[in-house]
Amino acid sequence: MITSQGGAGKSAGPAGPQAGRAVRDRDLTRRDRLARLGFLFAALVPSGMLLFLAAEMIREAIPAFTFSGWGFFTGEIFSFGQLYALTLSHHNGIVAPHGATYGALPFMVGTLASSVVALAIAVPVSVGAVLALTERVPYRLQSGLSVFLEVLAGIPSVAYGLWGILFFGPFMAAHVYPVLASVLGFIPVFRAPVGFGEGLLTASLVLAVMIVPIIAATTRELIRTVPILAKEGALALGMTPYETVKVVTLPYVRRGILAASLLGWARALGETMAVLMISGNLLDRLPVNIYGSFSTLAASIVDLLDSALTDATGMAVHALAALGCVLLVITIATNLVGRLIIRRASGGVPLPIGRGI
Amino acid sequence: MRPKRLVSRLSGTSLLLVVGLLVLGSLGGNVALAKSKKPKPLPTGNPTTQTTLTEAGSSLLYPYLEVLAPQVTAAYPHLTLSPAAGGSGLGIADAIGSLTSLGGSDAYLSAADALANPGLMNVPIAISAQAVDYNVTGAPPYLKFTGNVLAEIYQGKITNWDAPQLASLNRGVTLPNLAIVPVRRVDSSGDTFIFTSFLTATNKAWANGPSEGTTVTWPAVSNELTAEGNPGMITVCAGTPGCIAYIGVSVENQAIEGGLKEGLLKNKSGKFVRPIESTITAAVAAGAGATPANLTQSLIYEKGAKSYPIVNFEYLIVQKKQKTKAIAEAIRTFFSWAIKSSGGATPDNLAAVDFVALPTAAIPKVDKAIQKITG
Repeated sequence: MITSQGGAGKSAGPAGPQAGRAVRDRDLTRRDRLARLGFLFAALVPSGMLLFLAAEMIREAIPAFTFSGWGFFTGEIFSFGQLYALTLSHHNGIVAPHGATYGALPFMVGTLASSVVALAIAVPVSVGAVLALTERVPYRLQSGLSVFLEVLAGIPSVAYGLWGILFFGPFMAAHVYPVLASVLGFIPVFRAPVGFGEGLLTASLVLAVMIVPIIAATTRELIRTVPILAKEGALALGMTPYETVKVVTLPYVRRGILAASLLGWARALGETMAVLMISGNLLDRLPVNIYGSFSTLAASIVDLLDSALTDATGMAVHALAALGCVLLVITIATNLVGRLIIRRASGGVPLPIGRGI
Repeated sequence: MRPKRLVSRLSGTSLLLVVGLLVLGSLGGNVALAKSKKPKPLPTGNPTTQTTLTEAGSSLLYPYLEVLAPQVTAAYPHLTLSPAAGGSGLGIADAIGSLTSLGGSDAYLSAADALANPGLMNVPIAISAQAVDYNVTGAPPYLKFTGNVLAEIYQGKITNWDAPQLASLNRGVTLPNLAIVPVRRVDSSGDTFIFTSFLTATNKAWANGPSEGTTVTWPAVSNELTAEGNPGMITVCAGTPGCIAYIGVSVENQAIEGGLKEGLLKNKSGKFVRPIESTITAAVAAGAGATPANLTQSLIYEKGAKSYPIVNFEYLIVQKKQKTKAIAEAIRTFFSWAIKSSGGATPDNLAAVDFVALPTAAIPKVDKAIQKITG
């Protein structure tokens, strides 16, 4: 409210329709005016930062997009070329090291695939965990068990990566993936070889573990807001606890769960360190199957930056900026699509209580 | 003033001549000086103020700098060296961006980088090598490999330990039917640079494909694994039966303790050799005469029956123009101390990480380069 007056306040005269506002402006103390400026600045920072970041990223990325054209989005090979060779290649008026090819398709697919698989695992797990916690576990135990979720959320991602590479990945590759491959082998992507624990499925599972606390914590707060009266009513009508959850609790929080999943998805899309450590970091093709090595936009930027900085033509850094742009677009797009889904799901009804009854 | 500065430059037998010049100089002013072409060397010594030199980069060079750090402070109490690992690519990138005083790298600057950053120099301080290790239960140590076979393993063309290519190299050894798991570095690495340089020198498909670099676009191999830094290579390889990995000699002891076995590599003369002092020195001797003034030289796949094929200069990459004279002097001091056997390059220090000293022929060239570092 305060910031919206910022512009009007300066030009406001004493007369006319703005008189009321002007009077209020005049009443403002010096401190109020300072505070108003401060708030205005604070309000501009987030949007300004996003614009600044996007503008810089796009400016840095343009040479790479020009060099590769549409091939940037359809190409399957990402290579800086021979940085130690003196021969250069020219394409679309841009000079790059010999053999340089910037194809981001494997990273785009890897980013989306790993985060979607992670989400598909994490959403049922977190909702189930929270329902069990809030509906079945005695109240006194709830807070104790909830601490685990919060602690899980606070573990640095590099610790997850280390756990993934040293224990979880090798364990899954040795004991779980072979079973998965023989049971689900009729689906092509699940067929062997299962590799040695670095790859898409391992990364997705670790990502799932990382986003469960985010989704669960939000869902728990939501479920606490379900009116006890509605639940008691359902029970009084003779519904089982399962039916109560299905008919009352879940419909009430459905939109919230979608929003929570969206938060988790955003985290999975941008997660860098843990994915880098367990992805297998494949730069030149799509993963062969769900166990195969891959890479994501975020992980490859970190992985390749040091070498990119040694590219004297500067194209490698431009190519990484282009990857950053694509990641930015994917993040914003998923966010918008998610919002759209939430709006659709809620159907304009603010409190969907009793819809099923 | 000037004749006195000359005295400190020259020594020994030339002292007499200098005394003569001194007399001439005091009589004839600048005449004597104009005739002497050698400028006075820039000073080295204990800095007057506390100076910390930061370093980041190569995880192969890092253990050696850890050995040198306390010793250089002992020799020059005002000089502190603060090394860190992170990969050679980081070392080069940090040196280009002047983020650290020194950037450690197993890889020299590329010609393009040298052109783009004329203020940058690569100064070698020691010679290193790289071992190829494996983790195959039941197999003896010192299995034989060629660069060509390694390239085919890293291209996914040879996928099993009992493959005929490996069997024909290792007659009399029964290798198990076990999948080969090639491990490669995920970070931007000088070890990757020297390893891929070796593959490039020995395999045409590799030379025309991934080629050499601190990061290359590795061919997809279904069993491959990745690791961060040399310590990561040991951990991953030790935990994965069937693994093969390239590991810098400075951590080779830890690799062997971790249960890995060292391979023999075929050199240019067709002999299979281990990375030990004599074979590394032989490779250095084969290439020593050819060290150019900019000190950029590959020692990969050198000639000679005894030469080990993956040998390299360990570089510290440095800006010629430093922010202050004091920092420049501290860096000169560190370098001239580090390359001399009377300073940091003692046999004990080098042996601690299985490095060998710079060839004698290269020392004057390095000294000349050090003189270019000014404030």
